[in-house]
Amino acid sequence: MSDKKSPFFVGYLPIPARLRPFLISAALSVVAVFAVAGVMIGGTQDDPGPGAFRFDYGRQTVTGVVSLVPYPLVHVTQGNDRIKPGHTLMLTGQGKSSVVARATPLERQLATVSGVILQRGALDMLQVAGGRNGLQAAEGTAPEQVPEPLGRWRLAGEICDGKCLAGAMRPGRGLAHKACANLCLIGGIPPVFVSSQPVEGSEFLLVTGPDGTALPKSAYDFVAQYISVEGAVERHGDLLVFQIDPDTMEVLP
Amino acid sequence: MSVKYIPVQWNRNKWLYDGVMLAGVCAFLWLFIHVSPELLSHEHPINAQVHNARAFGACAFVMLSIILAIGPLARLDRRFLPLLYNRRHFGVMTVFVALSHASYIVNWYFAFSSSNKYEALLFANTSFGQVAGFPFEVFGIFALAVLLILATTSHDFWMKFLTPPVWKRLHYLIYPAYASVVAHVSLGILQEQQNHVFTGIFLVGAGAVALLHILAALHERRAGDPKADAGQGGLVRVCDVGDIAEGRARITLLPGGDRVAVFRQDGRLSAISNACAHQNGPLGEGRVIDCFVTCPWHGFQYDVTNGRSPAPFTETIPTYNLSLQGRSVMVDPTANPPGTYVEPVPVPDATPTEDPA
Amino acid sequence: MNTAEALFFAVRLWLSIGAFVAAVFLTVGIDRVDEDARGAYVFRPLLVPGILLIWPLVVWRWGVLEMGRDRWAARYAPPRATHMAAALLMAGAMVVAIWLGLSSRQDWPADIAPERLSAPEVSQ
Repeated sequence: MSDKKSPFFVGYLPIPARLRPFLISAALSVVAVFAVAGVMIGGTQDDPGPGAFRFDYGRQTVTGVVSLVPYPLVHVTQGNDRIKPGHTLMLTGQGKSSVVARATPLERQLATVSGVILQRGALDMLQVAGGRNGLQAAEGTAPEQVPEPLGRWRLAGEICDGKCLAGAMRPGRGLAHKACANLCLIGGIPPVFVSSQPVEGSEFLLVTGPDGTALPKSAYDFVAQYISVEGAVERHGDLLVFQIDPDTMEVLP
Repeated sequence: MSVKYIPVQWNRNKWLYDGVMLAGVCAFLWLFIHVSPELLSHEHPINAQVHNARAFGACAFVMLSIILAIGPLARLDRRFLPLLYNRRHFGVMTVFVALSHASYIVNWYFAFSSSNKYEALLFANTSFGQVAGFPFEVFGIFALAVLLILATTSHDFWMKFLTPPVWKRLHYLIYPAYASVVAHVSLGILQEQQNHVFTGIFLVGAGAVALLHILAALHERRAGDPKADAGQGGLVRVCDVGDIAEGRARITLLPGGDRVAVFRQDGRLSAISNACAHQNGPLGEGRVIDCFVTCPWHGFQYDVTNGRSPAPFTETIPTYNLSLQGRSVMVDPTANPPGTYVEPVPVPDATPTEDPA
Repeated sequence: MNTAEALFFAVRLWLSIGAFVAAVFLTVGIDRVDEDARGAYVFRPLLVPGILLIWPLVVWRWGVLEMGRDRWAARYAPPRATHMAAALLMAGAMVVAIWLGLSSRQDWPADIAPERLSAPEVSQ
């Protein structure tokens, strides 16, 4: 039972005088808790990393040889100030879509691609513009592109969707982002393996399934986790392609 | 309310309550959304959509934690009862904040694909067999659904229509919902966060809620309402007649599980159900104000002799027959139908102990 | 994908039935079961979202009230005794969730070097 002298609050009556100091301090405390929590949680978020859409570069147009690994790439033969010949660009469509349907008829042919660059350090990707100007056949003979096998490797790291990782979303990796990454991969966005340490000079490798297939569904459970996985590494132009063997995927402790 | 329903009831205290709550929420969101980017020295800022989603999500968590702390706090210290008074407005606002969080997420992470974004939310990640990488979104969906149910059934109509016990059982869903929010955070953002300030705030908030509820439940068990003693002729003994102060009540747990509140008003005793007709608030912990028993939760009033609310209100509560055997207050544990008049029993040699309040 | 579509369809079906129940209940039923609602119309749209979500409960209560099977005693029996169980279950679930979450966190494997298992089989 309550003590007899305690004030009694009734909502539609004036607040008892002896309850006022308590309620004022409670109200101030509640507002203070909100304010402190807002600053502390908001002001201590992790850095989402250096990836970004480079709209500041303007629209980029280059010519090169299209190849499918099966994710579409272009080996630049005629570049510009920012994208040099010899560079290999991963291609992606708008949003969570791929340009594989548009690139397939142009496989092993010269094509002009145009769009906006996504860049995160050494990782970059071209979001191909819609319409014919985004991806179209170009005049000339396409030099043959021969991938250089680099052997079988065991790597530690994380499978990400390459587009978000490269800066389409900040943050664009990690487990809180996993469903988004999966949705990108379902849509055909090139998956990228972030290696714990550089492999032959590259921290980022395009990931495929074995023998040039798309990333197998079984790998989706491992997306965004830190794993070790084995597979063949090939160099396509200046891009490494990691053909993972899904049976060897293991979550690291 | 037994006058015609209106959409939302407000009075001076509710305006004050809503004002304080709104000030807190606005402070949180403004500081999080507009001030914190200045504190973060990121070369490339977090996407506005994600930043906003985090702001609203974290705000909803803080709101929910405070809301869930109010109940046990009011049990442990009655001075917190005013915070209970208008809690439903707080809850409804929480739903809007939580919906904003969900909307930012769905329109960012699950948009831009060729699939329906709500379907994408369900099929994008199906790794249900693992902890890390578990589709923690489902915990958020469950909690949001519960919050929606609670908010949309917060109007007084629902309490009367469903009956307060059914309504209360429905609103017990808040417990699994809060646990679900905790799981949503633990298997979501906590998995990848490197800075642990939020982890600390989260653990303190969730821990406080859990601890307060357990303490309140223990308090109820230890210092809760006493059980009635068995008497003769089917009556039960509530207490000594001198135990009840003027204008106050003595609550007793009857053998059938109901609670009776025996009030003393003007030197006479009356027994009514302890459960208010509105939300089953503990009437016996209320006071007699202007000759009416007043519920400590929302101020619903009853005539203690017949369990009827003063006009124009029409709420009624059951009454109990009572008598004195010597100095023992005896109650017939079978309740009378709500609104039944029972002649009050005069207290012999009543030496009024006036209620100072 | 099919499961997601089915779930999404089920949600829409649930809400559609709820909309039907809301339409009937708010125009016909509510006046019959609650005297306080008679002549009060402004608050009724506020009930629509609730009916959409918990329409089976609405139908059940409506039926009980229509058939006069409402037991008055049940209105005054709050489930207070279950609070202890609810509090313990909630706290237990929270502890499990937090423990699972924090114990499954991973650190970036910066110290694991790439390992070449075999040289290319064919060199050109």
